[in-house]
Amino acid sequence: MMTTLAQSGFPEAMTTLTLYHYLFISAVMFTLGLIGFITRRNLIVMFLCTEMMFQASGIALVAFSRFYLEYTGQVFVIFVLTIAAAEAALALALVVLLFKRNETLDGSVWSLLKG
Amino acid sequence: MMISPATSLASGAADAAAAVGAAPTWVLAIPFLPMLAVVLNTLCAVFGNKTKLPAWITVGCLAGSFVVTMLAYMALSGETNTVTAWHWFDLSWGDGVGQSMVANFGFYIDNLTLLWMMFVTGLATLIAIYASEYMEHDVGKGYTRFFVAFGLFVFSMLCLVMGDNLLMLYLGWEGVGLCSYLLIGYFYKKPEAVAAAKKAFIVNRIGDLGLAIGVMLTFVHFGTLEYEVLFNSAQLQGYISAVQEGRAGDVPLMAQLIAVFLMIGAFGKSAQFPLYVWLPDAMEGPTPVSALIHAATMVTAGLYLIARMLPVFLLSEWALPVVAWVGTITALLAATIGMAQFDIKRIMAYSTVSQLGYMFAGLAFLSSTGGVFHVVTHAFFKALLFLCCGAVMHGFAGQLDLRKLSGLWHMKGWRIVSIGMLIGCLNLAGVPFTAGYFSKDMILAEAFVTPGYGYSFLGWVLLLTAGMTAYYTFRVFFRVFTGPVQYEAGDEHHGSDDHSHEHEAGDAHGHDGHSHEDHHGHFHPHAPGMRINGVLATLSVLAILAAGLYFISPEKHGWIGDMLEESTAHNIYTADHSSAAMFVIDGDAHGAHGHDSHGHAGDHGDHAHGAHGSILGYDPHKVMYYISAVFGLTGILIAAWAHGPKGLVSGFIGGRVEAGKCRMDGVAAKLGPIPRWAENKWYVDEFYAFIFVTPLRVVSHIFHMIDKLLVDGLVNLFGYLPRMLGRGAQPGQSGVLHGYALSMAGGVGVILFIVAWVTL
Amino acid sequence: MLLPLLIVIPLLCAGLIVFNPREQARYIAAGGSLLSVVLGVAALMAFDWSKGGTDQLNFIMDWVPSLGLQMSLGTDSVSLLLIALTILLGPICIIGSFSAIKEHQKTYYAWLLILQSAMIGVFCARDLVLFYICFEFTLVPMYILIAMFGSSNRRNASTKFFLYTFTGSVIALAGFAYVAWQHSMLAGQWSFDMAELGATARSMNLHQQSWVLLALMAGFAVKVPLFPVHTWLPLAHTEAPTAGSVILAGVLLKLGTYGVYKFVLPFVPEAMLEYAPLLAVLAIIGIIYAGLICWVQTDIKKLVAYSSVSHLGFCMLGLFAVNSVGVTGSVLYMLNHGLSTGALFLMIGMMYERYHTRSMKEVGGLGSHMPIWSCFMVFFVMASVGLPGLNGFVSEIMCLVGTFQSGPWTGEAGATPGGTFGTLGPVYAALAGLGMIVAAMYLLYMTGKIVWGEYREPEGHHEHEELPKDLNAREIGVLIPLALGCLIFGLFPAPLMKAIEEPVNDTIAYVNAYNVDGTGRHTEWVHVEHASHDDHADDHAHDNGHDDGHGDHADDSHSEEDEGH
Repeated sequence: MMTTLAQSGFPEAMTTLTLYHYLFISAVMFTLGLIGFITRRNLIVMFLCTEMMFQASGIALVAFSRFYLEYTGQVFVIFVLTIAAAEAALALALVVLLFKRNETLDGSVWSLLKG
Repeated sequence: MMISPATSLASGAADAAAAVGAAPTWVLAIPFLPMLAVVLNTLCAVFGNKTKLPAWITVGCLAGSFVVTMLAYMALSGETNTVTAWHWFDLSWGDGVGQSMVANFGFYIDNLTLLWMMFVTGLATLIAIYASEYMEHDVGKGYTRFFVAFGLFVFSMLCLVMGDNLLMLYLGWEGVGLCSYLLIGYFYKKPEAVAAAKKAFIVNRIGDLGLAIGVMLTFVHFGTLEYEVLFNSAQLQGYISAVQEGRAGDVPLMAQLIAVFLMIGAFGKSAQFPLYVWLPDAMEGPTPVSALIHAATMVTAGLYLIARMLPVFLLSEWALPVVAWVGTITALLAATIGMAQFDIKRIMAYSTVSQLGYMFAGLAFLSSTGGVFHVVTHAFFKALLFLCCGAVMHGFAGQLDLRKLSGLWHMKGWRIVSIGMLIGCLNLAGVPFTAGYFSKDMILAEAFVTPGYGYSFLGWVLLLTAGMTAYYTFRVFFRVFTGPVQYEAGDEHHGSDDHSHEHEAGDAHGHDGHSHEDHHGHFHPHAPGMRINGVLATLSVLAILAAGLYFISPEKHGWIGDMLEESTAHNIYTADHSSAAMFVIDGDAHGAHGHDSHGHAGDHGDHAHGAHGSILGYDPHKVMYYISAVFGLTGILIAAWAHGPKGLVSGFIGGRVEAGKCRMDGVAAKLGPIPRWAENKWYVDEFYAFIFVTPLRVVSHIFHMIDKLLVDGLVNLFGYLPRMLGRGAQPGQSGVLHGYALSMAGGVGVILFIVAWVTL
Repeated sequence: MLLPLLIVIPLLCAGLIVFNPREQARYIAAGGSLLSVVLGVAALMAFDWSKGGTDQLNFIMDWVPSLGLQMSLGTDSVSLLLIALTILLGPICIIGSFSAIKEHQKTYYAWLLILQSAMIGVFCARDLVLFYICFEFTLVPMYILIAMFGSSNRRNASTKFFLYTFTGSVIALAGFAYVAWQHSMLAGQWSFDMAELGATARSMNLHQQSWVLLALMAGFAVKVPLFPVHTWLPLAHTEAPTAGSVILAGVLLKLGTYGVYKFVLPFVPEAMLEYAPLLAVLAIIGIIYAGLICWVQTDIKKLVAYSSVSHLGFCMLGLFAVNSVGVTGSVLYMLNHGLSTGALFLMIGMMYERYHTRSMKEVGGLGSHMPIWSCFMVFFVMASVGLPGLNGFVSEIMCLVGTFQSGPWTGEAGATPGGTFGTLGPVYAALAGLGMIVAAMYLLYMTGKIVWGEYREPEGHHEHEELPKDLNAREIGVLIPLALGCLIFGLFPAPLMKAIEEPVNDTIAYVNAYNVDGTGRHTEWVHVEHASHDDHADDHAHDNGHDDGHGDHADDSHSEEDEGH
């Protein structure tokens, strides 16, 4: 059944949640995160946007994991979450430091890598 | 047109094929005793010896070497022997003929070698004794260095003449070049000495390249470097018989070229035109060096080479004629320069160049006896002349200008030097019954009898040169040794500026007590001591006795002819083309001089091809004695008229009353700029500098620029290309976070698009 | 086990230097290098010289079996002599640096030792990958030595040195990879054994061989260096510390010539024959061009550096002659140049320590001031000039003789028994011989400036606080082995020649295999000649200097060849 679902087109009705729904949500979340990351200037918001992209990928992984009845994806998500948590701590600390340097949260102020 | 060598080669080929024996090991002492002196003297230097020990070590070892040489002469004369010290080059790549490169550190002893060995070791011993006194102002400074190089020179020279293969010859050849370099540059603080040393080495190197190519060509062509194999090889014998039978064209070009290249080497070492320019400059070295290396021994190496390789030279149709012309041109050119010089040592240097020209011409006229005889006699009288000049230089604080010296004959303590000088001058001028007279005559006569490319013209040129030689020789003698006693001290002592001249009280140093009219305040000439006088006396006697060599075994044209008969330089003179015809004409021995042996070669009657020349219709061998005597005496007379002291022959001849003025000054004034040109050596050095050195220097600078800008520039360009690419892409790196994010998103988008496009 | 020990011991000593907290680096290094000398002597004694062509003292260990990689060490007599040179120069460099290196001693001596290991690895590797790793790894220590311990322009020099030689050897790697790939295709499995790969490479056709030749030469020619890829050398030499220059001139350059000897000749003999004239022209240009550049230098170290380019031109020429005399001469040249030029760099270093200048305009006339130094200087200059009796002559004349006899000589019906198979000839030798004159010109120019003449010292010169005016015992002790080497190799080279005769002749045999018709002419071009224009035969004979008398001989041999085809 699942396989047929996978091979069918876009679901016509919203009666059953198929893989595509999850993936669609994931893609939307990722795109939103990306757009947010590009458009916003506030470092914290940008960071939150990256988190959003992370979670989008997490949803996709879990969805696939369920779809293929394998646990690898879920395990991976747990890894990702853990690392994301650590990362969050690190990133927020960096943001605080950057704020201390320039008294602003505007990300466009920093351009030290200019070639 | 080389019929004559061909016909005369029959016996030469037979001799060369003679069995080669093994020499006893003790002959190794001959070259290695001088080496021992080098080692011991080096040890002296290491242990900081400040005495005259090095001189006595050298004299002892060289004398030992001479004694062993004499023993070798007694034991081995007339045979050909080899002895090997160790294997030097030893390589093979197959078992066939020529598939190996073997050159032993070994020695080949035949009569030609013995001849050279004897005068090299003998003269070296005498000159070492002389140098022990001459160099004594350098005791503790350069004394050891001098004798190390001196010993090394004798070793190298012996390797050159004794080596049993061409590479050993090359070793000696460059070894003597090194010692010459070190000894010319002995007074190394003097820029001229350094430049002269460098010039000598480099000009010699040009010749060495010719020699090297000749050696390589010999090796490739004959497959061997060893004389023993080479001279006995069927290939060489085949070529020789081809030449003999008039099929000179059958000898391959490559084999003919060997002689040409060897000749270039000989020209370099023996200071022949156009490579002679180093020798006059080489007089910057201490005088014993000039005497030994640059007059008596080293510069005869080229002659040795030709004499040794004569069989190969005879294969070439042009090598010997070129040698003849070059020798004659050199003789004349050097004589013209010699006439206009004022530095007596340089005059002697040019006379050496000139006399070497005679020797080359002699060899080329197929008179190897004449050429080699002149080598031997010249070695003695030229060494004597140089040593006399050296004594003058030593005594007068480096003064060598003949305008500032006069009347040494009359000064106390200078008589032996004066007599020695006179004997040397008589020999050099070719005054009858001196050794130089006999040896020069042999060459001159052969010029007229040998058929060849304008040889009789060369003969006349050489005769003229003989007259010029007599003139400039006696110019020196009359100016410096006769006339009123006048002198000026030189301003320096051989460039060693920290030298203080020591007068050893109580030694045999006579001082001239009077007529110090125009010399510096407290200068006292420093008459030579015992050792210098002793050596000069010995050499004078030897130079006189050398004439006697002509009377030993007259049927072979003297002792030299006897010696050469058993060697590769087999005497073509005795087997000569004209003697048979002469024999027929004269039918009798010539009694005119009681020593004439030219006609005695009657056993070569089969060579009567009648191609011999003549002088004004007379037979050259008969009249040459008179003609050359006339030329020589005329030269002396002119010198006496121009430079002779007042009262030499009352009234007409002579008349010089001052050191600096003579009758020739007036003559020179009438000649315009020519004497000045001659004094400036016809500007040959400047010409070479203009033609070779400067352009080469410019080219080198250009190469340097090319290397920096073009060759390295291209490399740097390759380095810059990636950098430029990076520069081009640089603006893309804005450093703004959003820019990176956008481009990343764009990249993802592009990838997605491509994936979609490919899959859908 | 000797060979692995020779590689490992310097590494261990380097480790010891790094981890030893106390400042004993120089003594540990000296001790380690002297220990290597002892082992090296043991290796020389353990080697069976009568079978010089066979690899001996072998050591094989599996490395990556799936790729056929092995830790395979072994040495024939040629390699062993070069190993001996490396080992000899080790303590000389280390002890010679005692007074010159004052800072970062640990770094300096540790890298010197590591460099020694890598160089020995190059010479005794019998596995291509191992060879290549060692070959490339020599760059790292040298880079660091130049970059950290060099003089003013050291950063530029070290970067250029690294990038230039690295680029070259990467191209060589491509060539090797191609051969290895060919081998795996033919044999069905990977192997990097040098002997096996050689057999494969020889079986390739001329077209393939030519490309491999190009690739290998790109690597080795830069290393040698051959004109026109030499420009890194003067820069690196000038900027390197003394020991760096000594090793660079003494051993690192020889990696290039060794590579040509060990890989180019046996791997691609046919292409070598084909392109030898072209390469020889480059070598000759290098000899004269670099020599003339030497002549106008004022920087004495640069002069000697350029002289290396000139000298190694002779060495390469001997290799391109592909005959026994030439290749033997070339191998000897590798040793001799290492001794004499290494010594010259040491001498210059000793002078530099005292006068802090390399300019011959500022310093000169040292003959009166430093007599011992001057004696050694003149001695080594003469060795370098190629004075017979010293080592330079032996190899130089052999390279020239080899070049001279390498040509279509034997075709003349036995007229030239000394001729051998090859594609060069007398013209090449004569032109290269001009290098002898040029060498005398620039080396005597240098001697004239620096040794002879009035004493000149740079402004504000003051005596070195530690070193005496002239050489001290340590410096003399460092120079004496080199001087003895020059003298002994110059007077008694025959044992060396015998020792390397077998491997050299084995190598030559690969080339001689193409001497099919016995004429000494390369079959390919005889073919081409006849195909293109028949009347060229006579011209050819004339080109090679045969006179009319032998014109018919040449015709005869050609007509025989015609039948052969």
